[in-house]
Amino acid sequence: MVVGEISQERNLIIIGGGPGGYSAAIRAAQLGLTVTLIEQADMGGGCLNNGCIPSKVFAHAAAKLSETAHLNSLGIGSSEMIFDFQKLSSYKTNIINQLRSGVESLCKENKIEIIRGKATFLSVDKIGVENGHQFDIYTFEQLIIATGSNPITPDVRKEKDPRFLLSHEIYKMDKIPEHLIVRGQDYIALEIASSFAVLGAHVSVVIDGKIGLPFDESLNKELTRLFKKRKIKMYKEVDFIAKHETEEDITITFISDRNEVETISGSHLFVSEKRKPNLEELGIIRFGIELTEEGFIKIDKDMQSSIPSIYAIGDITGGPMLAGKAIKQGKAAAASIVGTQTEVDLTFMPVVAHTIPPVVSVGLTEQNARDIGLDIRVSQFALGGNGYATITGKKDGFIKVISDSTTEIIQGIHMIGEGAVEMSGSFVQLLEMAAKEEDIIFPHYAHPGYNEGLLEVVEGLVGQAIHTSPMKKKDLTKIS
Amino acid sequence: MLEVKLHDVGEGMTEGEVLHYLVKVGDSVMTDQPLVEVQTDKMVAELTSPCSGIVKEIRIDEGEVVQVGTSLLYIESDESVRTEQKLHVEMNPVSEMKGKSMNNNEEKALPMTYKRVLATPYTRKIARDNNINIEDVRATDPSGRVTEEDVFRFLKGIQSTEESVKDEKQTVFSQEIPDEIPFKGIRKKIAEKMSKSLFTIPHVTHFDEVNMTNLLELKEQMKASGESISIPAFLIKALVISLKEFPIFNAELDEENSRILLKKNYHIGIATNTESGLMVPVIHHVDKKSIKQINKEVKGLTERAIAGKLQPFEMQNSTFTVSNVGPLGSTGATPIINYPETALIAFHKTKKQPIVNSHDEIVIGHIMTFSMAFDHRVADGATAVEFTNRFAGLIEQPHKLMLELI
Repeated sequence: MVVGEISQERNLIIIGGGPGGYSAAIRAAQLGLTVTLIEQADMGGGCLNNGCIPSKVFAHAAAKLSETAHLNSLGIGSSEMIFDFQKLSSYKTNIINQLRSGVESLCKENKIEIIRGKATFLSVDKIGVENGHQFDIYTFEQLIIATGSNPITPDVRKEKDPRFLLSHEIYKMDKIPEHLIVRGQDYIALEIASSFAVLGAHVSVVIDGKIGLPFDESLNKELTRLFKKRKIKMYKEVDFIAKHETEEDITITFISDRNEVETISGSHLFVSEKRKPNLEELGIIRFGIELTEEGFIKIDKDMQSSIPSIYAIGDITGGPMLAGKAIKQGKAAAASIVGTQTEVDLTFMPVVAHTIPPVVSVGLTEQNARDIGLDIRVSQFALGGNGYATITGKKDGFIKVISDSTTEIIQGIHMIGEGAVEMSGSFVQLLEMAAKEEDIIFPHYAHPGYNEGLLEVVEGLVGQAIHTSPMKKKDLTKIS
Repeated sequence: MLEVKLHDVGEGMTEGEVLHYLVKVGDSVMTDQPLVEVQTDKMVAELTSPCSGIVKEIRIDEGEVVQVGTSLLYIESDESVRTEQKLHVEMNPVSEMKGKSMNNNEEKALPMTYKRVLATPYTRKIARDNNINIEDVRATDPSGRVTEEDVFRFLKGIQSTEESVKDEKQTVFSQEIPDEIPFKGIRKKIAEKMSKSLFTIPHVTHFDEVNMTNLLELKEQMKASGESISIPAFLIKALVISLKEFPIFNAELDEENSRILLKKNYHIGIATNTESGLMVPVIHHVDKKSIKQINKEVKGLTERAIAGKLQPFEMQNSTFTVSNVGPLGSTGATPIINYPETALIAFHKTKKQPIVNSHDEIVIGHIMTFSMAFDHRVADGATAVEFTNRFAGLIEQPHKLMLELI
């Protein structure tokens, strides 16, 4: 290692080129700062290279493949749809490369200097960047740490086994597993189960019986039903017993919620992991940066750490490990560095799973609302009553809305069904605007379209959904 | 019949004086046609017609002071459908709803933390930009949603609970003025503010002088090169530079919560003498503005203040106030702080005086005296002297201002 004598001066340095880091970089450049971004691997970070993007390529492919029967009924294709896994893999690689070079050229166009290498703090205003034999020192006025997180390898995986997969590995397999056991209940696990089941794997899902699925109870039930329809078996584990592997398969044993010992053997096992911040190797802890109880960097509302020149965003700050949050925080950090008042409020950050069909959840669930003592009314509108869903053959699922019965302010909107991810934009906006029922009833809606479901579910709050049978309406009032 | 009520025109006013009507009974009016001019605390506002129709009745005489919500005149609308439309913004005391649903929620010890802000993102931005915690703002909407108006009202510090206290103070002051001069509108507002400041803040005034010779020379040079910048712009810039180094004077004492808020925004109020009385237009974010820009804004704001055309937001959120009485004369004063700020500086007349220069020669210098009042609860005399020394240093050697260019 050659240690550089001279330290180079930089205005704003960002460590990490994931969605949070590059968004912070571009926003800072837009605000007139000179920005240097340090990335030790690929631009785009875990999201683009190992997470959000590859998983969505698979989810998209699976959604398309799941339409085979419907396409046949439209007179398209043959009853046997061809699926070539190798082609999907190279499509995925192409998409990742394409998006990554998009990010790189955006950075370039915004005159962001990108330095390759591994950054470590030498003091609270100086970092070293190591790249092979090169070691350069930079001083900075401000720095944003956006190094993200990494999975904590579960105890049960003592040594690396190509059949035991974590989230960053599963979409890199070279074939579709024969029998995939998915252990976990977060959106990542659910997407994996859903995609791989459609793409040809036999899938068993083992969820934590104490936690359950992450959505409103009615959506959890519907998702379980739809998984069952796809022959995805779902188990509820209350106590884990053991895992062992043979040449042929991996077996897990656990006690189910029915108090029975269950044993499942599969060709592959995916386990939803906990994640730890990529913090230790940065060497910032020794300069006394304050950490949260969970060991993430503690930040204030301006994304500033306890060391005033250092900001932190995204996974490294703990909380929900979502790219959307990191992007929001990245922009806020850039703005607060130039002295603007910022605010990041996660209350209405949607929970999204790109399952088939997708699920979104914004705001309070029915149970949450009751727990906090709100006087609510609830409505559910089955997509079977939506004309457009009938045309497209996507009649599974429903929209559910919870509103405050006194003020009529919408408290939560949830959907399982085709178009849910796109519709979630409206859900979030309505909640952020503190919309009342009338704010949804008054506007016009594209007809026919999935969006009419939103209108009808709100009309249903007062028993006025047109495309719901009065019988069902009665049932609903019983529920609420 | 549609009532036209005196409504809050957006700065948290509670009453207004009907100056004069622009229409008379029997006139036919168009939608948005100005009907009546009302003098509020700080400005003259026009109330416009909510509909087209005919003026049926004028209820309140010109010159009367009425509460917000009072019906001023009646219009028979062309569209009878709209008859019941209400123009006014209700000044409901406090929304019970918000307290009920939200606070109770918080009391329940649940693992889930759910803290919803019932306000649109834009309203939240207004609050944020003004350093207000939106959760401190009371909603007038019965369902608990905080509106832009609520935030502006909060900014003016007029929350309905304070009203009774204010009324008491008003009567005390009317006794002090025994003649026929009406004590209302801007005059009354000034009185309220001044008394609140003086009753609350233990004032200390610190006097000093500054040699303006170099700055005046610089100004002349600039003028010769076609850039005409008036002296206050330089003074304000130098003040903000000094304030950034002594943030305690850009602060607000929050006694209730036992804390001093060091403001991150540098919004400088410019005390301005107008025909109707003292007004304090505000230049916002001075730290981010060039001297040229400050100069332009001082000019614009002063003109609008004198013409009575200031917008409510142009008079809000100052963090430090400057009173430039120099052009009128005077050598010293004990000014009253613009509550709830921590300090105020008054600039007095610049006079030619014999001074001793660095070569021990007696020469003619241009000396300006100034008086700085500050809140002794928050800061001490020594800090005030350091602060004004820094300020004087920047003015005496104005080239140093260049070092602070952003």
